Amino acid sequence: MRFFYLLVLAVTLTSSGLLAQTAPTPKAKAAPAKKPRIVKMFMRDGLRFEPPRLVAEPGEQIVVEIENNDSTDQTHNFVLLRPGTRDAVVQAGLALAEKGPALEYVPPSADVLVHSRLLAAEGSGSIAFTVPTTPGIYPYVCTFPGHGMIMYGALYAGVTPPPIEKDPNILPMVAQGAVAGGGQRPFAQRIFMPDAGPAAVAIALVGSQNVCWDAGQCRLRYAWQGSFIDASENWAGNGKILPIVPTKPWWRAPKDDFPLRFGAVDSAAPKVKFLGYAATTTGPVFHYRAGETEVYEHVLPAAGRPGIALRLQIPRATGLVFYRAAADPNAQWTSSAGTWRDGVLILTPAQAADVTLTLTSALCTP
Amino acid sequence: MNPVKFSPLFLLTLCAVTTFASAADASPPADARVAQHYAIGKISTPPGVDPQLGGLALLPDGRLAAAFHHGQVAFYDFKTLSWKIFAEGLHEPLGLLLGQDGSLLVMQRPELTRLRDTDGDGVADRYEALWDDFGMTGNYHEFAFGPVRGPNGKLYVSLNLASAGDTIREEIRGEWSPIGLSREKFYDIADWKKNSTAAGRMYGRVKWRGCIMEIDETTGAAELFATGFRSPDGMGFDAAGNFFINDNQGDWRGTSPVHVVQRGGFYGHPASLVWRPDWEGTEPLKLPIEKLNALRTVAAINLPHSVYASSPTEMILIPQTAAWGPFGGQMIVGEMNSGRVLRLLPEQVDGVWQGACVSFVDSQALRGGIHRLLFVGDTLYLGRTHLIWAGGEGIGTVKLTKTPFEALTMHATPHGFRFTFTAPLAAGAAEPARWPVRRYYYKYHEPYGSPQTELTQITPSKVTVSADGLSADVAFADLKPGFIYDFNLSGLTSKQGESPLNPAIAYSLNKVPTK
Repeated sequence: MRFFYLLVLAVTLTSSGLLAQTAPTPKAKAAPAKKPRIVKMFMRDGLRFEPPRLVAEPGEQIVVEIENNDSTDQTHNFVLLRPGTRDAVVQAGLALAEKGPALEYVPPSADVLVHSRLLAAEGSGSIAFTVPTTPGIYPYVCTFPGHGMIMYGALYAGVTPPPIEKDPNILPMVAQGAVAGGGQRPFAQRIFMPDAGPAAVAIALVGSQNVCWDAGQCRLRYAWQGSFIDASENWAGNGKILPIVPTKPWWRAPKDDFPLRFGAVDSAAPKVKFLGYAATTTGPVFHYRAGETEVYEHVLPAAGRPGIALRLQIPRATGLVFYRAAADPNAQWTSSAGTWRDGVLILTPAQAADVTLTLTSALCTP
Repeated sequence: MNPVKFSPLFLLTLCAVTTFASAADASPPADARVAQHYAIGKISTPPGVDPQLGGLALLPDGRLAAAFHHGQVAFYDFKTLSWKIFAEGLHEPLGLLLGQDGSLLVMQRPELTRLRDTDGDGVADRYEALWDDFGMTGNYHEFAFGPVRGPNGKLYVSLNLASAGDTIREEIRGEWSPIGLSREKFYDIADWKKNSTAAGRMYGRVKWRGCIMEIDETTGAAELFATGFRSPDGMGFDAAGNFFINDNQGDWRGTSPVHVVQRGGFYGHPASLVWRPDWEGTEPLKLPIEKLNALRTVAAINLPHSVYASSPTEMILIPQTAAWGPFGGQMIVGEMNSGRVLRLLPEQVDGVWQGACVSFVDSQALRGGIHRLLFVGDTLYLGRTHLIWAGGEGIGTVKLTKTPFEALTMHATPHGFRFTFTAPLAAGAAEPARWPVRRYYYKYHEPYGSPQTELTQITPSKVTVSADGLSADVAFADLKPGFIYDFNLSGLTSKQGESPLNPAIAYSLNKVPTK
């Protein structure tokens, strides 16, 4: 239980109440009472709601537990609105002028569905309500004067939200904050990733390419072009919800095939041990041991072509090194050294000391 | 209860008892009263960084290092009041420790990592895997805590069990234990409700889950140290080097325990038993309770659930400086679900660890989610978090401004308990009715939590106050080991007329001292 304090308001709006106006659908006869879902909402520095969007089922009972954690001592409220009325309500809030404080800056408007009290910094409260039964995108906003122009988010009721960076209902600056690394490139984020082992690394390369590298298996798993991962749901929860890879990967490694072999192409896959990485201005240089052999693997954008590159440095190879590049009809492997035979790159120890493999695809755009 | 005939005089006494007991409301002190003794404040967190804290450490140059939920490690300069990002992109870092070589050690979900700044630009450029030879199923509850450094120089980390609140990922890291529900059943999601019951409310089917690991800081070589944990967020050492680890109420945890941990010990949650090298293959969940009872070491201190703590966190020692008055040297523990830090008063009696817990600072001004604790100078820094659970955000600060009237220490004696106080007791403290006790225990069993069992309201048979009024011996006619003696001292006052700021104090009596 929370023992938070200050302004606490529990508003229960049943479908027979205020929200019935937005609920033209005939209501079903009393469904068995379900415990309302608790959703947390934080007011943060820089006039932000965290999370910037909520997803709910039409007609769902939810309780939004709100905390004002703005360390700059700003006062905020949380006002849920009818679709498409955000600008109008913000303007109406400003127009309250000297009447504002008495109304806690919430304009008397039919477009306001439900709202919290005005929360001083470190204040908290909760509002319980039924999500409108009409599917739609319901904005939420802080109507404190001057805040509403940027401090807003959206409740998606029965509507699938678009990728966050393309969401017109989210301030672009906030949407960028949901993208791991906040738009930095290169950037490496260790996080659970779809279609990989649990010790995964998501990497935003300089340019527009991104890869998933598996630190448990010490190998590249897939590559995609465009936006980096949206980790907002993963971070807003306990880690259960995987980050979103916003575009379909243009290349994937086969599931269980470590690509390097030493001595013979068909030798058993060596046991790998991850040793870490160096953060460089051109992307991470992974360091691992494959069997007894130390490998450095620098993940980079492909030079002059759309795609990615792996610069492998195996300083102490004692025999031939084989890189079993997985066949993919949409992707082409090339290398700065070595001999290709049946999709396998064969490297002498000298070549293996420093070789760059490039992976390009017609599915990538320059 | 024995039938007793009451004399009129006795009935009169009983009325007096009732008066004390009803006045004896051990609810948390009013925040205004706390504010007379402790200054509670905050510092900023780095702009643009999610303000949930996983770790706090003090750098040799005096800056504060903090690890954040989204994976940043940042340094706070107390002189400029500003933050600098040192490292980014870590996976749920939940502990920070200064390395012996000047590096910074951080425990993240997949790995114990050493962060180094090799080019001296103030930003980490090497993220070295010091130890990652442990299993991950991808289950959200597999948090990793630590490291702490023992008096032997070794590092210790603790690895959470997975929760039946979710299943496992298709790809896992490390060896899967064949003991228990078959792995295919973990992928039978349609039937997960049923399967999860068979899996165990919390399960540990990959390596070292529910275990405490000992790691060599130089080589990264790891060794199993202890088993039997569920979600051990707090680890710490006392001044003598005894190793304290707490755990969270839940399955096999009637209430949140604080254990004193020895090499090879088993501390109650059975899931991790499969990782003991001597384990012969019995499914731990199917072991009779007597067998588990014989294997386990009971908690040194039980933290009564929701009254004292619901989710205990980091444990550290109060510095022995004038700033912390008589509390210097005592151990404290944070708590997630309320704005509370508790003092722990452990002692070893005839070889058995036991002791008391009592609130230290309990105020809504502390907010909740007190996850990481660090003393810097005269100030206690509190790093908060919540994830999807009860908690808070940001970094709070606490300073002692005026020592309150409190029970300072509590020791078991052959006939009861000896208390010391921070100020002399007023006359009347020898009346046993002023020392009401709720006596109970929490069950050791598979279900989640436990009621307070065999709860009895008792009063001491005799109370003897020392001549200086600073200590009291509280005797009971019938002292029962295996019970928690949960005292409510709000009927006591100091000579200055103050009542204890935190009147509730609960002693877990494992063993009655012989002398």
